[in-house]
Amino acid sequence: MVVVVICLLGAMEVSSWYVAEYIMPSPLKVARAIVALATTDYTHVLITLGRLCLAMLFAMTAGIILGLVMGLFGVLRSFIKALVVIDTGIPALSWILLAVFWFKNPEVRIFFILAMILLPFYALTIYDGIRGLPRDLLDMIESFRANRTQVLRYLIIPHLVPYVLTTTKAVVGYAIRMVIFAELVASAVGVGSRMGLAQSTFRMDQVLAWTFFLIVLNISLQAIVAGIEKLGLHWRPEATVR
Amino acid sequence: MTVSAHNPGLPPIIELNSVIKEFGSYRAVDKLSFTVAKGEIVALLGRTGAGKTTVLNLIMGTLAPDSGRVMVAGFDPFRQFSALKGKLAVSFQTDRLLPWRTAVENAELGLLIQGKPKDQARTIASGWLARVNLAGAENKYTHELSGGMRQRVSLARALAVDPELVLLDESFSQLDHVTSHELRQDFCAVAREYGKTCLLVTHRLDDAIEMADRVIVLGPGGHVKLELSLREAATDETVVGRTRSQIAAALGEDTGKQQQNEREE
Repeated sequence: MVVVVICLLGAMEVSSWYVAEYIMPSPLKVARAIVALATTDYTHVLITLGRLCLAMLFAMTAGIILGLVMGLFGVLRSFIKALVVIDTGIPALSWILLAVFWFKNPEVRIFFILAMILLPFYALTIYDGIRGLPRDLLDMIESFRANRTQVLRYLIIPHLVPYVLTTTKAVVGYAIRMVIFAELVASAVGVGSRMGLAQSTFRMDQVLAWTFFLIVLNISLQAIVAGIEKLGLHWRPEATVR
Repeated sequence: MTVSAHNPGLPPIIELNSVIKEFGSYRAVDKLSFTVAKGEIVALLGRTGAGKTTVLNLIMGTLAPDSGRVMVAGFDPFRQFSALKGKLAVSFQTDRLLPWRTAVENAELGLLIQGKPKDQARTIASGWLARVNLAGAENKYTHELSGGMRQRVSLARALAVDPELVLLDESFSQLDHVTSHELRQDFCAVAREYGKTCLLVTHRLDDAIEMADRVIVLGPGGHVKLELSLREAATDETVVGRTRSQIAAALGEDTGKQQQNEREE
């Protein structure tokens, strides 16, 4: 990691000697922009983080519910599955443009865009998780005459925890890219809108400074999810391949 | 009141009366009738395809008979599925433990499903783990336990709900000979001490002779081919040998070959 960062900084420095500042600023200039933005514009990072967390939490909850309905209720399965599959085929840009036309409030727009993009990931993973439920464990718990709620509580939900955590780990980076994209088009505050402003005023140092914040945000969120995974799945032995 | 044919005076816990079960054109169980009295340990022996699993599923209530009657503890296990909560427990061929729960959390599962308060369930489950020689292993996860220990947890989970009937579905057949023998001995001691009614479904002669009061041999097509009381055999080596030969003959196997197969398993 350190070697890669040093190489990138070296490449930036050398490039900055030969091209204009608005194309590639020096690492020092970017570092100054990082310090300046961290002291004056940090609220935009918090706004983006808040939007991201809220939308992910909603997508997770709604996706889990839809996945459970698909997995447990045969009558509704094909209807909901068709809706989710259609959703996965709609490009992010379509949702962004639709949100701009449909909603006036920028917060609603961004929430809607993120929710529609992230929800199918959770719904389909949970559905797959239920399909992968070991039949012998289901027979075992039913032999005790467990009712549906007890089967859900003692078997299905714990079985689905690894699926939820793996999906969260996989979509965090994608969700950050999507929230920035949505903010760029649909809002006047947040990192995405600030990046748009920096680009329009030829402040490439600020564009790179915001990018730095986003990389740090992604690494931090991944570390938090990994921590939760370690805590929640402490029962799972680590497999080592020789 | 119906009484058990083999223990007159005791009401039967399991009662199968002219039960037929077909899968398409294949008749898996053909007019099967037998009873198991309270406190009895009965082995249901049969070769592959004899309908043992079908009979077990009928008793568990996961299958309904096409005709005839199945009663467990006075209830129809299929139509009155929930009525048998806490009255019936099953120990399967594999341990079927939940990997995210510790040994004691697995052992208390049936009690929690019964609606017992958590602290009470934990005390009972810990007691049963100690009873099957797993004291000190309560907080270990399943991957930290050996195959024999996991099967002991599975037995503790079944016994903890204080069922009237314990169904053992080839519960000892996945273990090595020594561990299987130890576990059979321990289980029998506990089952007899607490007067549990047990139906052991197995294809292994050793399991049946060592554990059961009575053996029912199922022939091809799911009918009773042989029914033998083993109580007198337990104390007399000559009778044991003769009984073994009789059962092996009913199973359609050579006794020596059967013993060799079991040793190899």
